[in-house]
Amino acid sequence: MSSHREAPGILKDPCADNTDTYAFVTPNDTVTIITSYIPVQAPAGGPNFYEFADEVLYEIHVDNDGDGKPNVSYQFRFETVNTNPNTFLYNTGPINTLDDADWNRRQTYKLTKVTRRPGRRDRVEVLGRGIPVPPCNIGPRSTPNYEDLAAAAVKTLRTGEKVFCGQRAESFFVDLGSVFDLGTLRPFQDKHLIRMPAGAGVDSIEQVNVHSIVIQVPMADLTRDGRVPRDPMSPNSVVGVWGAASRQKGLSRGSGYRSSAGPWQQVSRLGNPLFNEVIVPLSRKDEWNAVGPDKESRFAQFVARPELAALLPVLYPTVFPNLAAYNKDRADLLAILLTGIPDGVIPGFQNFTGTTQADELRLNMAFPPSANPNRLGLLGGDPDGFPNGRRLTDDVVTIELRAVAGAVLPRVDPSFTADGAASAIEDGTFPPVRQFLDDFPYIGTPYSGFNVPAA
Amino acid sequence: MHPVTRRSFLATGSAGALAVAGAATIGGPLASVAAADTADELSPAEAAALSGPTMLQVLDPTKGEVEILVDERSIVFTDKTLVARVLRATR
Repeated sequence: MSSHREAPGILKDPCADNTDTYAFVTPNDTVTIITSYIPVQAPAGGPNFYEFADEVLYEIHVDNDGDGKPNVSYQFRFETVNTNPNTFLYNTGPINTLDDADWNRRQTYKLTKVTRRPGRRDRVEVLGRGIPVPPCNIGPRSTPNYEDLAAAAVKTLRTGEKVFCGQRAESFFVDLGSVFDLGTLRPFQDKHLIRMPAGAGVDSIEQVNVHSIVIQVPMADLTRDGRVPRDPMSPNSVVGVWGAASRQKGLSRGSGYRSSAGPWQQVSRLGNPLFNEVIVPLSRKDEWNAVGPDKESRFAQFVARPELAALLPVLYPTVFPNLAAYNKDRADLLAILLTGIPDGVIPGFQNFTGTTQADELRLNMAFPPSANPNRLGLLGGDPDGFPNGRRLTDDVVTIELRAVAGAVLPRVDPSFTADGAASAIEDGTFPPVRQFLDDFPYIGTPYSGFNVPAA
Repeated sequence: MHPVTRRSFLATGSAGALAVAGAATIGGPLASVAAADTADELSPAEAAALSGPTMLQVLDPTKGEVEILVDERSIVFTDKTLVARVLRATR
């Protein structure tokens, strides 16, 4: 999956497991950023439904000067309370409002913005306290009118940001069951080393939920010059975004209590989808999660010579002869994932942040939202899509598969001719558009436990 | 790094939740170690100022290197005598 349970350490800590990060331009000169956690939630989650962790520091970071370090950070801290100490139930009646007396287990959060500028003291600003998280989507009796409950948890802050934190439908899509069965792509499994008849892709995570942190911010709050970017070719138009979760270094458990102390230690991060999942070796995934993008040079070798590019010709014999013969560092992937694409590679486009190698989701904010988004993003000629930011509907599995297979390599190395399959391979899954909303928070209503699996 | 004295360490250790990782986890034994040295006891004002858990980790017994985790801070200092007393208390 994009980054669900992608490392040995974080798979044991779902509340801190950043599954996906999205960043895309939205109307009125704003950017919406989504980071999701708690992967693969079965909607029927009772008796204890999913929730953010009070002991985790959830952050959205934005780098606007290309050094791999955050210049603007949004920090989310959750607080959970039980209102009824005498019941084992999450709710003792229908939850009709966010202050309903029948709702026993509730969360609120504090949002803090940290702004860092070279040579100046960090500016720490509390943007909101006690902001409510809606309940999980339980079923028609416990959470009737779920959309209304969720809408009530959307808040516009006095400083201009709009926020929502809570359960959402999984937005990522992938044929997980096949891709990790020796790299099988069902539409092309008749060409696999172990052949089977070709078939349609299966979205393995179609009916699960996640917990999402969604914030919409004015673009001018993110740029280094404090202005709304209008020129796509200006360095000021590009920012790098990633999500991160941290726990305090010390943890003590006792009978009925748990306490933490010490500095925050990052345990999960996510910029570009699938980076830690399919680029970083298993033995170093936990290390990757623990450091920031400014330390990315430690991992650049795995981008320059990706294991997956070597596996494709082995798993699909005779399909990728040119890829198999290529024996140079992958300048295309190093640019896409670690520095951004410089001016001159794609006419009229750039999202270059400088020479510092950092896994960040780079977004050139000067490109307005597409009227007709192409699921293949930039690969499909749509400068508003991945790897220029990431929209909910972007087919990042196919985009990255094709990129690794060499589909865009000729743009930076004209001596290379891409194999025909490089622009055709896909896992056969498509955006589950019914799970998306037209307006904030864009990521869709979670599945209810009563209805999934269907009766 | 914040200045730390043996006095302040013992005071903090006896007032908050305390764990020693790397060597062992200590509860009661360390409290008795601290209590035995009455000259290092906390004043009421110092005790009142402490809040939240405080954890201690012996990083390197041979160098006497100790890390204290308190609030959102990490304080590393060296005190071979302290480390010796702590580790002997685990026996």
